[in-house]
Amino acid sequence: MPLLHVTDMSHNFGGLQAVSEYNLSLDPGQITGLIGPNGAGKTTIFNLITGLYRPTKGSVRFDGEELVGKKLNETAAMGLARTFQEMKLWRHMTVLEHIKMARYSKLSYGLMGAFLGTPKRRREERKVTELAMEYLKMFAVDQVADQLVVNLPYGDQRRVEMARALVIEPKVLLLDEPTVGMTPDEMMAMIEVIRKAHERFNLAIFLIEHRLQVVRELCQHVQALVFGQVLVEGKSDEVQNHPKVIEAYIGEQEVEF
Amino acid sequence: MDEATAPKKIGGLFYRLDQFFKPVPLLGYLLGVLVCVLWEQMAGEQLSAFLGLPKMPVLFGLLTIFKVVAGVINLLIKGDAFNWATLVHVPTALVYLTVIYLIPISLVARASVKPANALARYLQGFPLIITALVQLGLMYAVLHIWADMSDYRLITLKLTLIAVLFTLSLNIINGYMGEFSCSHPGFMAIGAYMSSLFTVGLFTSDKVLGDAVFTFSAAYLSFPLALIFGGMMAALGALIVAIPSFKTRGDYLAIISLAFLFIVKSFFENMQVLGGSRGIAGQPDWATLPVIFITMAFGIWTINNFVTSTMGKALNAVRDDETAAEAMTVNTRKTKMVAFLFGAFWAGVAGGMLAHVLRYVNPAMFSVQKLAEVLAMVYFGGLNSVYGSIVGAVSISLLGEALRPLEILKWIVIPLLLILVMIYRPTGLIAFKEFDVRQVFGPKEVD
Amino acid sequence: MTFTFLMQNLINALQWGSFYALIAMGYSMVYSILMLFNFAHGDIFMVGAYIGLGVSLGLLSLFGTGAAAILPGWVLLVLTILISMFLTAFVGIIVERVGYRPLREAPRASAAITGLMIGIMLETGNILFLGGQRFKFPQLHQFIAHTKWGMAMRAMAYDYVVVPLVGVPMNTIAAMTFAIGSALAAAAGILFGLAYPVLDPYMGVSFGWKAFVAAILGGRGSIMGACLAGFMLGFIEIMTVPAIQIMNRLFSLNIGSNLRDLIAYSIVLVILVFRPHGLFGQAYSSKLRL
Repeated sequence: MPLLHVTDMSHNFGGLQAVSEYNLSLDPGQITGLIGPNGAGKTTIFNLITGLYRPTKGSVRFDGEELVGKKLNETAAMGLARTFQEMKLWRHMTVLEHIKMARYSKLSYGLMGAFLGTPKRRREERKVTELAMEYLKMFAVDQVADQLVVNLPYGDQRRVEMARALVIEPKVLLLDEPTVGMTPDEMMAMIEVIRKAHERFNLAIFLIEHRLQVVRELCQHVQALVFGQVLVEGKSDEVQNHPKVIEAYIGEQEVEF
Repeated sequence: MDEATAPKKIGGLFYRLDQFFKPVPLLGYLLGVLVCVLWEQMAGEQLSAFLGLPKMPVLFGLLTIFKVVAGVINLLIKGDAFNWATLVHVPTALVYLTVIYLIPISLVARASVKPANALARYLQGFPLIITALVQLGLMYAVLHIWADMSDYRLITLKLTLIAVLFTLSLNIINGYMGEFSCSHPGFMAIGAYMSSLFTVGLFTSDKVLGDAVFTFSAAYLSFPLALIFGGMMAALGALIVAIPSFKTRGDYLAIISLAFLFIVKSFFENMQVLGGSRGIAGQPDWATLPVIFITMAFGIWTINNFVTSTMGKALNAVRDDETAAEAMTVNTRKTKMVAFLFGAFWAGVAGGMLAHVLRYVNPAMFSVQKLAEVLAMVYFGGLNSVYGSIVGAVSISLLGEALRPLEILKWIVIPLLLILVMIYRPTGLIAFKEFDVRQVFGPKEVD
Repeated sequence: MTFTFLMQNLINALQWGSFYALIAMGYSMVYSILMLFNFAHGDIFMVGAYIGLGVSLGLLSLFGTGAAAILPGWVLLVLTILISMFLTAFVGIIVERVGYRPLREAPRASAAITGLMIGIMLETGNILFLGGQRFKFPQLHQFIAHTKWGMAMRAMAYDYVVVPLVGVPMNTIAAMTFAIGSALAAAAGILFGLAYPVLDPYMGVSFGWKAFVAAILGGRGSIMGACLAGFMLGFIEIMTVPAIQIMNRLFSLNIGSNLRDLIAYSIVLVILVFRPHGLFGQAYSSKLRL
């Protein structure tokens, strides 16, 4: 039984069909890629799966549970972490605070603990800090733990974002264009980071990418999306060389390194 | 050439001053101020008589100075008679300020660096609560001695401490959470009325609320209950604003809360049971300085605890990017509700204390002007910062008092100052600075 | 409880609403262009009314009153309105220059604070220069058709704002917006002075904030919405009094008619709960951000 199972999911924005009859099944430990030209609805699919939008019809099952109707924070707490194309970091918060924040749903000291600073809260906060530092070390950003995240170089920001999503301890990680705007070197480093995270946490990863090289390096399985519909699905190189996909990409400014 | 070097010189002076006072811990300053107030108690009267000041300056000589300034302005504008001899009060008040406050505090603070740091380090060995209590006790002693010297000082100090709590409670919402709430005076009103209802209704005989229900001598012990009751009711009122406001995103709260402020004011104006527009008077004199000081300190402590916890940091996450906060498992609606109600609670407590300091409460106290005042304090001091709220509330309160001789002109000077602050530091003087209690009370390590 | 009584109230409501509408449109205009609330707008309304007072007194002394009048009342009124609108427009431009332009890049909440502070300074300035007395507005012209005037003014404003300002620098647009909004507020001030001929420095606070609520009720940045909501708020405020009287008579209750504000704002609150974006506003997700 697949870990994440989407069946016949459709969505329209005020009459405009953004996603239609979308299907996905993602097994534990599998990396699936989602490619397609701009405006194909890739990010919308992420938003629908994670509960930021509610699909007009269809079902999303995760670990045997129905996700439709659940909110973004609930799906995240269940183990469905995501990143954003534009990163969405918090500009007034430090790196360490970013990582700690993702443990929000696992905090158990309650409101009174927060107000009164009970020993339980202190213990728990200390534990969360330790855990966060571990993750920061893993992503080689522990040296800048106390810096505001907006002051970091771009590549580090991306890594912080990745660490932030992973500290949720998700079973599925949804990555929305993790290498957008990166130089080739940065991109290669990011591929390594993703690969390492995948091995270490035995994650299932669902990845939106614009760069076919990243998809080729990482994904066993690829879907090509055009106008909200899956055009081709299959092995990475099969999909990329499929005439329909090539056709859809024509006219797109593809940045291929 | 001269112009180019002049600012540098000033910078150098500030730098040197900064270096000079850098190793002084809070304890050192407290000792310094303690010496000051004791010294003023001993020699203040004699010194002011010697300097030819009309009476002992109550507000660091600032009031005296601005009285002279106001005299000059009235002479220039209206041609009022001005006693030129009073002009000498400006330098003498400055001398007073220097001799009584500045010199002793600098000397003692600097001279006590070693013992104060040693003591602070020694105290650090104990649990944080002990360190904090010792230093807060010292702080209270200083304020008590200072305020003991005149009734004016006492009431000014009480109102300032209340303003600190009130400002900080609004900072939770406008600063930490990044929403724009306009209903805070309304919450204060609810707190003031409800705690008055509690004390006046139960323990005193009053024209509006009838005879006392209970009469026993230790009734003042119930004052904390009255404050909590006031705060709870304010939080309940906040629920009316919070439920519709946090359903959607956007600057929706600003509007709903404004309408709520008008509703609350109008409600109390029309409740004849609560005295209508005349309000309730004759509150028992229970809001003494220690009570207010303890309540304020406790309030600051809980608020600071909240905003430094991961749960409270969620407010910042919601402010900076709500979608990201949600994607990181934060329950944004709950976070916002909790913070809003928590802020309203402390605003209500502040209102309860205000009613019992002034010993009256009426709807006119909680108007849009009050809103402008508290917003001024929050934004002047700095958003997202406990320091900022303390600085904002204290400086606007003190400025308001010191500029009192200028009468109506005060309301030109203070807004102008605030506009300048907004232009040059749009988030306020000390924004986004974390208030680390351990660091504040601890020793200063300088190599 | 006669028909004429109701009609009288209805006319009052229209008139009262037209003031709200004119001021609310000023709020909305600034919001639609600059995405911020001009919290000094209520006080600009006050300044406008006082400028109107000064202008009308000046014109009356120039052209004479009563039997000695050289010009008919309505000409004086038109002149007063036009001159005051022109002068108040400059007040608006100055407010924008001093309080808002330096904060164009700053968080919007900070600009809200400077607006509030400028409002306080305008009130204080009034008290300083005029001693805080109340003034009686001269009866320039007996006219009932305040509403018609208001309508004309609104149509004009609408045209101005709808005129696309393509290629005009932002600073000019901002200044223009403030100028037009302030001119409208001046017109509202004069009409207000004619209808309720006592001016005081805090009229902007009491009246302006309500107009602000109307602007919101209409939907942020929707000028037509602000206008309609202004009328609606005026209607609610005026009509609650007879409504309470009727209720009292019907059910022999004893509700005070000074519950007006309470009821009006409660209705506003309820509307906003069910229509979060106002009556004519579109969904948006902007915030008075840091």
